[in-house]
Amino acid sequence: MIYLDNNATTKIAPEVVEAMKPFNHELYGNPSSFHTFGDRIFEHIEEAREKVASLLGCRAEEIVFTSGGTESDNTVLFGVSEMNPSRSGIVTTSIEHPAVLDTAEYLSKHGHPLGIVGVDNNGVLITEELETLVDKYTGIVSVMMANNETGVIQPVKEACAIAHAGGALFHTDAVQAVAKIPFSISEMDIDFLSLSSHKLHGPKGVGVLFIRKGIKLPAFIHGGHQENGYRAGTYNVAGIVGLGKAAELAGEFLNEEVVNTKKLLRKLEKGILDSCPGSSVLSADVKRLPNTATIIFAGCESEAILTLLDMKDIYVSSGSACSTGSTSPSYVLSAMGIDDFRANTAIRFSLSRNTTNEEIDKVLVELPLIIEKLRNISPYAQ
Amino acid sequence: MWKYSEELMDHFTNPRNNGKLENPDGHSEVGSPQCGDAMMLDIEVDDNDVITDIMFQTFGCAGAIASASALTELAKGRTLTEAVKIRNSEIVKLLGGMPAEKYHCSVMGHEALTAAVENFKENREKVLALLKAVIADQFSGQGIKIVKVHPARIQIETDVKNAGPIIAEALKEELGEDVYVTAVNQ
Repeated sequence: MIYLDNNATTKIAPEVVEAMKPFNHELYGNPSSFHTFGDRIFEHIEEAREKVASLLGCRAEEIVFTSGGTESDNTVLFGVSEMNPSRSGIVTTSIEHPAVLDTAEYLSKHGHPLGIVGVDNNGVLITEELETLVDKYTGIVSVMMANNETGVIQPVKEACAIAHAGGALFHTDAVQAVAKIPFSISEMDIDFLSLSSHKLHGPKGVGVLFIRKGIKLPAFIHGGHQENGYRAGTYNVAGIVGLGKAAELAGEFLNEEVVNTKKLLRKLEKGILDSCPGSSVLSADVKRLPNTATIIFAGCESEAILTLLDMKDIYVSSGSACSTGSTSPSYVLSAMGIDDFRANTAIRFSLSRNTTNEEIDKVLVELPLIIEKLRNISPYAQ
Repeated sequence: MWKYSEELMDHFTNPRNNGKLENPDGHSEVGSPQCGDAMMLDIEVDDNDVITDIMFQTFGCAGAIASASALTELAKGRTLTEAVKIRNSEIVKLLGGMPAEKYHCSVMGHEALTAAVENFKENREKVLALLKAVIADQFSGQGIKIVKVHPARIQIETDVKNAGPIIAEALKEELGEDVYVTAVNQ
């Protein structure tokens, strides 16, 4: 199997599996219990918190464990909308993950003003547009650090400065960026950040919300005093310990991973452009994650490409979906001004530190054959 | 991944009658690449209105490509009247079933075939109308009986000398294409 869909999820690291094991067996205590058995477990939670804080460059007490990126995003947007009734508005971008966009739209239906900033043809947020949308009603600006489909890195520092200048808080969904590009919260002015464990070779069902010290964000999930009241619910101990280990490994691998993955991605891109007529790399000229390339294969419908790659045990993804009615192109690509015809031919390749040179070679053997086959079937290939 | 049958995957990976016809008697283009599904279809029709050859090109998913392939297999050898009656359910049956969400893919094949048959009939009407005009203009409407009209060839009965070549030339001038004329003595 060749797995090039690491923006969807990553393979859990063996070290992470090992680290989690005792917490699914003998170390089953509840970290919130008064007795020493519970205390012992709690120490592991705090150790994981330290590791995540170290990866992100923040204080351990600024880390709140959640069930994942989606919950982190919901917690911020719902929380801020309640913090200050006169400033409950949200400004975000047209290319955010649905965890932000759908939540923002839900809140807007419930009376919280919503502004959506567009992106340019490269998929980079238009900062001038952000400036005009942030007003005295804006409570929070939410801009993803890197887009999941294109890998395009967003000008988060500029966006954060604009938010703060307008008196709003700033959140970044860093689910795709953490462990792929080096950054440190200590060098940034952001107020909130979302992280998801399974995108960095950790277990599913656990994530993090960074809340800058001093901000009193209302809880999203009620029913317990865990996480200083920021997030109720019995600790997902194994998950949190696994995430801690994954964060530690991510820190160790970060620089090497970036260089190696980038090299393999370049090779993949060049190989495809050289061997597949009608192919082009999206956002080729702007800063992207070192692991992500979305490629247009003019004349070949993306689901057909996915299906043929799948038969060769090569797993990738596309933003569009052909189901009841007709194909709906990716909203991210549409926001970039890519017409539906081209958007319906896009395939996303996302690598990880596990990706090998041999795997890229194999893809470069199979993919051109698939594209040739589909171009022969298609009326639009010539 | 959709749950596709073996038959469907076979039609997807080895599409039958895929490509274009050199000189199609009927041609259609349906769907739109903007919607993610588009298809071109060419048919060749004999003098008895039987589809003798058919070729397709499709931009679309596995379901769309396999449906188009299946449709061409079903249509080949049928008369035009029979062919336009091919139901989506027949296509789905030939493909060994299809996920319900993909039924719309099989609809496109039917649309394409109906449109190609319409195009064939329009082409034929056009040739017939031109033929009638030529007979009226050049032969004062006398001495020529139209036996059969096809977009690419016509058959007449006549005793008028050189009627065949004269008609062929006049039609070529109007259509810009060769129409083969068979003239038999009355």
